[in-house]
Amino acid sequence: MSATVEFQNVQMSFEEDVLLKNINFQIHKGEKFVLIGPSGEGKSVLLKLMAGILKPSEGKILIEGHDMWNCLPKDRLALLRKMGMLFQKNALFDSLTVGENVAFPMREITQKSEQEIQKQVKYFLQEVDILHALELFPDEISGGMQKRLGIARALALEPGIIFYDDPTAGLDPITSRMIVELILRLQKELNSTIIAITNDMNRAYQMADRMAMVVDGELIITGNVGETQQHKDPRVVQFIHGYLKGPLTEHTEVNA
Amino acid sequence: MISVIDSIGLSVIKTVIMVRDFVVLTLRTLVYTFTPPFRVSDIFKQLYFVINESAPIVIFCVCSAAAVTIIESSFHMKIIIQNDALVPGFAALLILRELGAVVSALLVTSRVGAGIAAEVGTMQITEQIDALKMLGINPIRFLVVPRLIASVIGGVVLSILANLVCLYVAMLVSQYKLGHSAGSFIVAMRAFVSMQDLYFAAIKGACFGFVIPLVSCYFGFRCKAGAEGVGLATTNSVVTISISIITIDFILSWIFSYFY
Ligand SMILES: Nc1ncnc2c1ncn2[C@@H]1O[C@H](COP(=O)(O)OP(=O)(O)OP(=O)(O)O)[C@@H](O)[C@H]1O
Ligand SMILES: [Mg+2]
Repeated sequence: MSATVEFQNVQMSFEEDVLLKNINFQIHKGEKFVLIGPSGEGKSVLLKLMAGILKPSEGKILIEGHDMWNCLPKDRLALLRKMGMLFQKNALFDSLTVGENVAFPMREITQKSEQEIQKQVKYFLQEVDILHALELFPDEISGGMQKRLGIARALALEPGIIFYDDPTAGLDPITSRMIVELILRLQKELNSTIIAITNDMNRAYQMADRMAMVVDGELIITGNVGETQQHKDPRVVQFIHGYLKGPLTEHTEVNA
Repeated sequence: MISVIDSIGLSVIKTVIMVRDFVVLTLRTLVYTFTPPFRVSDIFKQLYFVINESAPIVIFCVCSAAAVTIIESSFHMKIIIQNDALVPGFAALLILRELGAVVSALLVTSRVGAGIAAEVGTMQITEQIDALKMLGINPIRFLVVPRLIASVIGGVVLSILANLVCLYVAMLVSQYKLGHSAGSFIVAMRAFVSMQDLYFAAIKGACFGFVIPLVSCYFGFRCKAGAEGVGLATTNSVVTISISIITIDFILSWIFSYFY
């Protein structure tokens, strides 16, 4: 069986700057894959490459064995529908209400009747526990609720692969924990593959089947939680323990 | 010396790239404008926005412009030729050939152009555009095309409206201020302008309306993160559109001069 997500020699550059080089890895069906790494190293870019939002400069990205950038438009659309994403900046449509945000993907790309859409919207909002905010606008609800709404919208097309870009950013520890519990519960219910970015190590350990770190343009697959904690690479060691001194901070004042 | 040449070279290259990207955006928008699916309800929503947001300020400003035109021209004509019989003709000429279209377009720029740049820029930095792409929705088809169509139609409508309101107010002012009767104003005016001038004003309105959303969306899509990013996108688009409007006005007036 082919992998759910597969990268073959992927390179990503913006203008002349190479951000990610020669990335090769596979993610399997039902897996919970967590990406960690310092800010600005390209975690979000890696996720957007998987999601078909960015096109790799070189190499191939396969989703369930199909190359999204080398297929018919209708096959590409079918692949896109298998994926949902919670964006780092939420990406909620601020001119639409909470309910309309969840309805938007269904209205745009499915043939569902309005009645069916309303039923689904209520169901998803119930799942993430913000049904009471149905009529409000995204800027009228709290940060935690915005994350929940983002999750509900990501689920709207019932995708098999869900990307979570920093789902706990800016949330208090308790709310973070509730969001992660929600992500895990939904993963179990829907039996989906999830790929999440987080720099909250406790949440990362709680979610991950397998972890990887993005640094210096590379993707270091660090293995399961135990393996990651025992990893030998000094960059991984420094990062997961949050040491001030080490290879990651070599060029900053802290080491000088 | 070298660094000066370097930086000039660099800004030339940057400008060339920007112009190229803008041309690409324009061509792609045109292709999507004339190929289905058409987002008709979005077009109407945008058209309502353009006209509803701009019509009040256009009417208000054009009224002042009309009054100023009449009062100023009569003042100067009285000094030079001791007579203001030609005021209605010259005023109508100035209004129809320049003021109506340009003033309304500049006001639409400050209202609608700035609004579009801020909206699209915010969508860019909050990843809303990425969210659209992930649904397989083309951002140009979804955002630019409805705004372009609405703005071209709105440009024509507002230009004609501005001209008619402006002429009417000019007539009222010359009636009360200079004592020309409505009938004599119209007779004097007809000697200088014709229906053709109104058509040309409408064409100008359409061309200005074409530029506004394209430039605004262009800067919106390039918006860099942070609140300054959106501010910069808005300022850049208003400045660029204003310069474009003045330039296009010059070119069109020149072309139209062959038809007078
Ligand atoms: N569309 C783009 N065009 C140009 N450069 C980009 C683009 N997207 C990302 N970058 C650049 O790529 C680099 C990595 O960005 P990315 O958002 O992936 O970092 P990250 O690892 O997610 O960081 P953080 O933890 O802060 O979210 C940044 O330097 C950014 O400026
Ligand atoms: Mg990121």
